[in-house]
Amino acid sequence: MYEGIRSPVIHTPKTLSEFATIAYRYPSAVIWAGGSYLMSQKEYYPSEIKDGIIDLGSLEELKKITRNDRFVEIGAMVTASQLLFAGKLVLPPVLQETLRTLASQIVRRQITVGGSLCVPDIRLALSTALAVLDAMAEVKYYQGGKVSTHWIPIAKLYDKDGKLLLGSQKALLTRIRIGLEYGDYQKFVCVEDPIRNTDECVIVAFQANRSQNALSKVQFCITFPNKAFHISKDLESKLSGLTLPIHPERVNTLSYELVAELTKMHSGISELQLERGRRIFESFLHDLNAQSLSS
Amino acid sequence: MKIECTIDGKALSLSVNSNKPLSLILMEDVGNRTIISHCRGNACGNCIVLINDEAELSCIIPAFRLREANIKTFESYQKTRQYRDIERAYQSTGNTPCPNCYASKTLIIESILQELTNSTRLKALGRNSPQLRDEKQSEEKLDKKAIIQELSLNTCQCMDMSEMLQIVEIALTYRRRKRVRRN
Repeated sequence: MYEGIRSPVIHTPKTLSEFATIAYRYPSAVIWAGGSYLMSQKEYYPSEIKDGIIDLGSLEELKKITRNDRFVEIGAMVTASQLLFAGKLVLPPVLQETLRTLASQIVRRQITVGGSLCVPDIRLALSTALAVLDAMAEVKYYQGGKVSTHWIPIAKLYDKDGKLLLGSQKALLTRIRIGLEYGDYQKFVCVEDPIRNTDECVIVAFQANRSQNALSKVQFCITFPNKAFHISKDLESKLSGLTLPIHPERVNTLSYELVAELTKMHSGISELQLERGRRIFESFLHDLNAQSLSS
Repeated sequence: MKIECTIDGKALSLSVNSNKPLSLILMEDVGNRTIISHCRGNACGNCIVLINDEAELSCIIPAFRLREANIKTFESYQKTRQYRDIERAYQSTGNTPCPNCYASKTLIIESILQELTNSTRLKALGRNSPQLRDEKQSEEKLDKKAIIQELSLNTCQCMDMSEMLQIVEIALTYRRRKRVRRN
């Protein structure tokens, strides 16, 4: 049925140094993590893959989860399902909630942490939650025969439209590191399925610290999968230092400031998405108010 | 690329393109009639198969990941005793999925039942331990949200979610009774 299409060569490195050799020899080979994104592309099959596929499935180094007193490190080939199962005691609540809502269990078995973060053109739930948690990604760049390693904050991996910024060199995200000092208020909301209903989907993650009714270290990220990846430093600093409960009018003003900022910085976000984003943001602040009044 | 795997109990050696999706292999190379969709990974949920006893979307599994895999499609699953639990649940509720999604929805329900009954933790604990009793009690309360999330993987609208939940609950009762009898 698909005459003339050559079967791509599958390279299966067992160590990172083997990966480096293969990446050097076959610079345009496709790097394969879980494959759920690659296989959902319209032109995926049948198609010609010139330099073959580098399957990361045998790289045991990328399948580890380690934890110490200060941070958790998660290998890029750990699946969402494994992470959720293994990390119930070590992961921040916002990340657990993200993993639970990410997809059904059947799909979660297929999605890898690294694959999800390195999707080139669409931002999904994991990037949003990890950006809020100030997670860092270890990225190895392969240029010629040389390898250089960089730790990059997840929030800096993408541009404002959510496109991946790893540059033109061959790069491999090997692990992520999440600090264990996080806020006591964490929320994650994803409205609509980011794959099936990309144009209406809104993903929001929020965390803050509360001490004696004062908000501090507020971190907030709102994502419109194929349109925007937005972190508002301005709003974060406005919220940090506020005393709870926040006056409803102030909540309203802040939420419209967010809408104004989104409209100014990103084109293509629909009215529905903006309204959804605004209401989710407002609901977090109302929830904070409610909790402060009830305690 | 040559791949040795077992499909529906038959040991096969397939010569296919290394990146060919399993859904296409089953439809074109194996001639399986229960897989009727290839949505190209857009998660229509109509191509579920059991790979090493775990439910997977066959449209996002490439051939090179199938080495030594044990693949079970609905064709062989419908001959198993486990299928009887779900079939009986369909009969007792009077609701059956449409022919387009019957195979996939049934395999999704099977995957949910496995998840709910095959807890390794339960096996590790003693039969009469208080912890086991607590686990059993929590097992009684189904996490409906998680089940709905699983069931919504199949996008066919032929059945209401409440009907599907009812089927899962009844099938689970049959499955547990079977386990009790065996013990």
